[in-house]
Amino acid sequence: MYRRWLWPASALPGVLWLVLLFVVPFYAVLAVALGTVDPILFQPDPIWNPLEWNVGWLNEVLSRLAPGGIWFEVGVRTIVYVVIALALSLLIGYPVAYFTARHAGRWKGLILILIILPLWISYMMRMLAWVNLLQEDGWVNEFLMFTQVLSEPQDWLGGNHLTVILALVYGYIPFLILPLFAALDRIDRSHLEAARDLGASPWSAFRRVTLPLSKTGILGGAVLITLPMFGDYYTPNIVSGAPSTSMIGNQIDLYFHGGPQPTIGAALTIVLAAFLTILMLYYMRTIHRAQREAGTVGAL
Amino acid sequence: MTHHPKERPNSLSRRVFLQRGAGAAVALSAAGPLLAACGSTTSESTGSGGEGPGGLPLARPDKRVTLPRWEDPIESGLEPETGGTFTVFNYPAYFYRKLLNEFGDKYGVEVQVTPFDNINSGLQRLASGGVAPDVMEITPDTLDIGVAGELIKPLNLDYIPNLQKNIWPQLVDPFYDGESRYTVPYTCYATGVAWRTDKITEDIAGMDQPWDIFWESQAYEGKVGLLSENRETIGMALLRKGITDINTEDPELVNQAVSDLQELYDICNVKVDDLQYQTVPEGSSWLHQAWSGDMIAGYIYYLPKGTPASALGFWRAPHGKAPVQNDCFAVCSTTKKPVLSHLFLNYLLDNGVAYENFVDFNGYQPPLNEIDPGTLVQEGVVPEHLENSVLTNDDLGPDSLQYGTLTSQGQQLWQDGYSNFLAGGGS
Repeated sequence: MYRRWLWPASALPGVLWLVLLFVVPFYAVLAVALGTVDPILFQPDPIWNPLEWNVGWLNEVLSRLAPGGIWFEVGVRTIVYVVIALALSLLIGYPVAYFTARHAGRWKGLILILIILPLWISYMMRMLAWVNLLQEDGWVNEFLMFTQVLSEPQDWLGGNHLTVILALVYGYIPFLILPLFAALDRIDRSHLEAARDLGASPWSAFRRVTLPLSKTGILGGAVLITLPMFGDYYTPNIVSGAPSTSMIGNQIDLYFHGGPQPTIGAALTIVLAAFLTILMLYYMRTIHRAQREAGTVGAL
Repeated sequence: MTHHPKERPNSLSRRVFLQRGAGAAVALSAAGPLLAACGSTTSESTGSGGEGPGGLPLARPDKRVTLPRWEDPIESGLEPETGGTFTVFNYPAYFYRKLLNEFGDKYGVEVQVTPFDNINSGLQRLASGGVAPDVMEITPDTLDIGVAGELIKPLNLDYIPNLQKNIWPQLVDPFYDGESRYTVPYTCYATGVAWRTDKITEDIAGMDQPWDIFWESQAYEGKVGLLSENRETIGMALLRKGITDINTEDPELVNQAVSDLQELYDICNVKVDDLQYQTVPEGSSWLHQAWSGDMIAGYIYYLPKGTPASALGFWRAPHGKAPVQNDCFAVCSTTKKPVLSHLFLNYLLDNGVAYENFVDFNGYQPPLNEIDPGTLVQEGVVPEHLENSVLTNDDLGPDSLQYGTLTSQGQQLWQDGYSNFLAGGGS
């Protein structure tokens, strides 16, 4: 009896953590989004009973996000930014993770430390440092002009889409590299040797063995960076400040920062969370399938 | 979890106050007698056709309002509290730390500053019980929330003699807070246009409609900014079209103003931020909507060595056509040091303290009788060409343009309009 409960009980701290820091706050946001507003203080007046929920704010948010709505373009822009930033992150991050896992040898630890090192400094400070570097007379322009890539200084901070996307890549890429590295490092080299013995070229072995086996790492890293990117608002604020480069997170920020409609901010948060849940479900389904296939291979 | 204000210990008295004085469904015409029932008076008309938070009348420069006291002020002649901390709830870096320390030393308290991002979010934090400051900064257009929500305390002016002694008559008994029942003024400013004279070739001040400069700024793309405040941006677009009712709640006018602002995406890829006091002097922004204090602060602190003061330009519309405002200070209901809080309000109105805070720190002018533009220029505090950054008592008169409290629907209208502008269109 004692043994029967011992191992399940070890999950209790994790379950408590999940309930206290995720389920309860999420329910609170839901209660705010589907609640009302105090007419004097403009404080959210949450409705805790689901039977009394008011879906008016949610409908309002959905209509704003629909084609023709005032947030349609900013919604599309956010998705485009995140997709490009993710693609660039993979293009940069995968080779780094691959090299570190396969070829770094005794330098592996040092490279991992170097990847993590920027995270020791706050995100905000790192972005502010880039603001200095990207000034018209900053080092980035000086370097690009010295190397004759540019003939005159580029206005990187004048409301530039590319700057916001690159800033997102810079800010989040370590969170992609680490799970990717873990996945690549776990791949049994005998699989690759078997592929080569069977006549596969290095590229073919990578494409048919390494890449599929690192799929969970790619997806895990992708989920880790896309979730915060979708809600990001300070990156476009710091490196651009132009409405033409704003993201959906800026709208959440606007409605939560005072004014009579905090419920709009909460409802937008819920809609964004629902959208991200779809991505999460795809990730979980893929992981589940990969684990099942691994189990099958193991059984064979 | 949000701690709803209705759950606060004093909720009963607040509810009674609202029932007596200002229920949401009460018609405007009834506001006067109802407020009188609270032991208050409204000395003039009750606003421009609507109610603010808690049914309080909407104050306008030509429609003075005396707010109801929701409790009696503290008695006169009490000794100030000492020991512990004294918390100022304010924008970060908006009060000279040295002066706060001197106040703390004088009364044996440690003065700490709890910052907020903006006054609306500050009031929400205060209402939620997330902070418990002694005094806070507040603006005339948010004052109704503070009073109706019982977040700020009525004042006993016996403790604040500097108000009568040192402050402009317009603000001793201001239109938004008749008899200064809740607030004392802190700084005042006008909204205008700041620019780099070495980058912008147009004669902005000489233009028929200087606000048009933003719509004619193709050559300065990426270097043009507006204030990130919904009232200021939309209000500016209204003024550009000659609409001086900057408190309008007409959806057609507000939506047209937003539509006009959206033209700026393609014209100059306009930015929105409140960093003009730094970015214009440093040259990363060449043209920016700005408050008058920004260029004074910029001249004092941010102008790089070798850049002459003449590189900074500022324009504001003539008296009665430029938006002007003043910030205030109030005593918070959460204070455990009400007497000391009153003395702090008196301290910040001291001639020496207010002047030092202005000249040596924030660049925003206090409404002191002893400050006049000519003297500031003579003393070298303000360069001659920025003399128009300095306001006088007359600038805040009954014919001035001031952003006032809007009805709840009006606030939604302006916030949604700003959201539409901030969304950035389909670029």
